[in-house]
Amino acid sequence: MRRGTGTWQGNSDAQVNAGVAITAVAVVSLATAIIGFYGLRISRTTGDFYVASRTVRPWWNASAIGGEYLSAASFLGVAGLILLSGTDALWFPVGYTAGYLMLLLFVAAPLRRSGAYTIPDFTESRLASRTVRRVTSLVVVMVGWLYIVPQLHGAALTIHIATGLPSWVGSVAVVVVVCLTVVAGGMRSITFVQAFQYWLKLTALAVPILFIVFVLAGQGAEPQSLPAVNPTGVAPAGLYQNVSLLVALLFGTLGLPHVLVRFYTNPDGHSARRTTLIVLGLLSVFYLFPTAYGLVARMFAPDLARSGQPDAMVLRLPGELVGGVPGDLLSALVVAGAFAAFLSTTSGLVVSLAGVISQDVLGGSVRGFRLAAVVSALVPLGFAFMTGSLALAGSVGLVFAFTASTVCPVLLLGIWWRGLTDAGAIAGMVTGGVAMIAGAVSGSGLTPPWLAQPAAWSVPAAFAVMVIVSRATSHRIPGTMPRIMTRLHTPERPLATER
Amino acid sequence: MTRVRVTAPRASARTAVRGTPRALESREAAQDSEVGQVFVRSLIRSQLRLALVVAGGFLLILAAFPLTLVVVPGLADTRIAGIPFGWLLLGAGIYPVIGLSAWLYVRTAARNEARYRDLAGEQ
Repeated sequence: MRRGTGTWQGNSDAQVNAGVAITAVAVVSLATAIIGFYGLRISRTTGDFYVASRTVRPWWNASAIGGEYLSAASFLGVAGLILLSGTDALWFPVGYTAGYLMLLLFVAAPLRRSGAYTIPDFTESRLASRTVRRVTSLVVVMVGWLYIVPQLHGAALTIHIATGLPSWVGSVAVVVVVCLTVVAGGMRSITFVQAFQYWLKLTALAVPILFIVFVLAGQGAEPQSLPAVNPTGVAPAGLYQNVSLLVALLFGTLGLPHVLVRFYTNPDGHSARRTTLIVLGLLSVFYLFPTAYGLVARMFAPDLARSGQPDAMVLRLPGELVGGVPGDLLSALVVAGAFAAFLSTTSGLVVSLAGVISQDVLGGSVRGFRLAAVVSALVPLGFAFMTGSLALAGSVGLVFAFTASTVCPVLLLGIWWRGLTDAGAIAGMVTGGVAMIAGAVSGSGLTPPWLAQPAAWSVPAAFAVMVIVSRATSHRIPGTMPRIMTRLHTPERPLATER
Repeated sequence: MTRVRVTAPRASARTAVRGTPRALESREAAQDSEVGQVFVRSLIRSQLRLALVVAGGFLLILAAFPLTLVVVPGLADTRIAGIPFGWLLLGAGIYPVIGLSAWLYVRTAARNEARYRDLAGEQ
């Protein structure tokens, strides 16, 4: 059944039909740009640019959140990792989804009710401190840039495998399309673009795998391997790594800047919760498919794990198991979906970073927002060129661990604990950040797992430092605190309009 | 509506704020009093308790799934429609639990808010 020969790279037979793939990428980019320009006609004010004037309906908003959240790691990385590590890797999609549950439980409605545009806005108003704002902005920008880099690596990988073009073309194409859409339309058009891209991603994963299963069943194909068999010699992760990963994913999601900014587009706290409920449904449906890819590849194409690029498995599976013209078309569909994943996550991050940078540095004008958007996209492009590609799911997991150790404690304690002070918030964020950087710098296969996967201890450490320092500086609790807590937690509408 | 409401004493200046488009300010001003703050604190406490209970319950179920597979030998490899049960449980079975937890939370949180409105709403 297997067509190509041993090595995939530089082997034209192994590549997806280049012409079809380039067409698929072009169509996705064009559709993104067109929806973006269509949005331009209805975005007029600064409010439109930042948060779509808070008029987006829950279904649209939920699709947009799903579209933005499902990144290269979800589309390519998770399936590749499942192929490599089997059921151990199932914790990735579970963690990504359960992270949203935590966001719903602890953050969604209060954050919407805070009335702030960005996370730095929130921390500044809650703790009445410009310094906290600056530290939060710095952390948010770092998180955003760290998160864009794997998207660009994913784009480079996809373009190289699908078309044989040099890798940098993929990263540059993503940055150019994202800059054009964001500069043209801001958040309003982004909402439509993202919503479209969720459904595109779902289709692009679901149709090929259903077709593959149908073909395999029709042929009565015999599995080459059992699902439990490890296709490579790499040892599976230990219990500590799994727990640490789960902590990072559960608590990292609620600190992601591009996810949080979406909540401001809900009209009120209750609809923010309803939106999140729909998002959970959309994510649950989506993650069934990377799991299915992983399982099918483990049983019918375990060779793909040994190519050295498990992230490319989703792109190669249709050609491997179906072949011919249908295989090419299905591959093109997967390539289109993957490209939608890079575009949507990158543009969501660029919008939220541009919001932070333009408000803090450029005075919050529409012009400043556009300039900041270009800067926010170009810097990670530089990083992407300088760094080598790690496994996508792994590097995104580290970003989640970083937000879980920095942004997450500030948000949770700021929303639920009256005693948080500016000094405590800064001390906690610095602790979490330093722990993560120590882990990332020394992060190789040689370091002990507790240092390479620090979330299991760095998140509690950040919380502990924040609480202890806040207790010690309790005279710094701002006088505006009771009023802000009331705003965060009380329902918006008066009784009369409710009934 | 003939319900008798527990109301907080409010400064007359704040009456002017009510009914204006600045709903946010009226909302906060109304809760500035001591009694208002008691209501707010109890709302925050009940919402936090709810969130912690749902999160704790979910994490317990989450931990129980792989434990079940470890404790019951052979269960992970039992096949249903050709798919090993371990894959079904972890790959698909957890999502309904997440959805159910979320749905329960959204319903109860809205109910907590309705109770708060009844107490503190129209003063």
